[in-house]
Amino acid sequence: MSLPPKLQEIVDDFSGMTREEKLETLIAYAETFPPLPEWLRERRDNMEPVPECMTPVFLFAEHLPTGRIHFHLDIPPQSPTVRGLASILTNGLNGCTPEEIISVPGDFYLPMKLHEAISQQRLTGFVGVLGHMKQEAVKLLEKKE
Amino acid sequence: MSYVHPEYLVETEWVAQNLENPNVRIIESDEDPLLYAVGHVPGAVQVDWFSTLQHPLRRDFLTKEKFEEVASNIGITNDTTVVFYGDKSNWFACYALWLFQYFGHQNVRIMNGGRLKWEKEGRPLVKDVPTFEKTSYRATEPDKSIRAFREEVLQQSSAKKPLVDVRSPKEYSGELISMPNYPQEGAQRGGHIPGAVSIPWSQAVNEADSTFKRPDELRALYEGKGIKPDGEVIAYCRIGERSSLTWFVLKYLLGYPNVKNYDGSWTEWGNLVDAPIER
Repeated sequence: MSLPPKLQEIVDDFSGMTREEKLETLIAYAETFPPLPEWLRERRDNMEPVPECMTPVFLFAEHLPTGRIHFHLDIPPQSPTVRGLASILTNGLNGCTPEEIISVPGDFYLPMKLHEAISQQRLTGFVGVLGHMKQEAVKLLEKKE
Repeated sequence: MSYVHPEYLVETEWVAQNLENPNVRIIESDEDPLLYAVGHVPGAVQVDWFSTLQHPLRRDFLTKEKFEEVASNIGITNDTTVVFYGDKSNWFACYALWLFQYFGHQNVRIMNGGRLKWEKEGRPLVKDVPTFEKTSYRATEPDKSIRAFREEVLQQSSAKKPLVDVRSPKEYSGELISMPNYPQEGAQRGGHIPGAVSIPWSQAVNEADSTFKRPDELRALYEGKGIKPDGEVIAYCRIGERSSLTWFVLKYLLGYPNVKNYDGSWTEWGNLVDAPIER
């Protein structure tokens, strides 16, 4: 099963990096983590919490008219690693169809060798966020049927 | 009533006054390894609990020789006052302090309130990574009197001696076990070590600014649950970071002479074949 092209590109990039480059790139992803859009700020309480993360992470799936999904996340700035990892997912998956999101394998990130840079525990949260994105994609498909 | 060893704690203001002090080294140790790069106390170096302090292969800490290299690279001598601070109420700051003591560094401090308090007070955070002239640091053999291994924990439990489980109530009760698909951080069984009392780490700190609670509050908290200064106490959590904080509180703020941190904690115990468990 192939990954959505943008996500595949990120995976390929990381797989060729040294540990230091991985850390720098994660910081760059964390620093470009977008703030929650104005219209969602009032709806913050209706967003989905992601309990697998030790950091409070909230997720909202915006259903685009094209049938595709755009994810918005709210993560505190005190957690740059979680922001960086979440940013990889939104950069790689935003604009995908629900089917594309559901078919991303849970271990897609292994070739990125992120464990060289950060501990396994952080990766648990990463997989947790992906899991919730998939749930949102499933919900959208169910709604359509 | 004051802390029994108040010299192990410094306030943010003291740190602010000692940023240029050549006999002081400030170390940031966080749960989030990128936080230091985003901004840190001026002149602080990073010691990451995972990439710096763990053995690259075995589940253990770095070797004595490797520790000497780390200490030499951050330019400390055996007499340098090392001040630790970090995120998450100083969990990993306490963990790093505990490990520095394990390798014999005596002159250690925790910055009360950690990163949170420093930030809340609007104190400066910088991105510059300082470099220091390399030293030839000599560590001592590991001090096993502050670290508990599984056999010892089993004996402690069988002898009904004090064990403190500092995890959240749901982890203690066994309601929370590792979730499906996350074998790497989980345990095969949930619950706690038989005889362990539940005193979550968070009860020792003030939520608003991560500072430690007052001495009388701390004394009442632990003694009220039967954890008294006499005798040996072993603290544990899931991987040994939260229990480092409790270890610091018992050892230095309350002055218990004989406290150990069981760093194997629940990720070891909950996977150990034939280990007794209580729910």
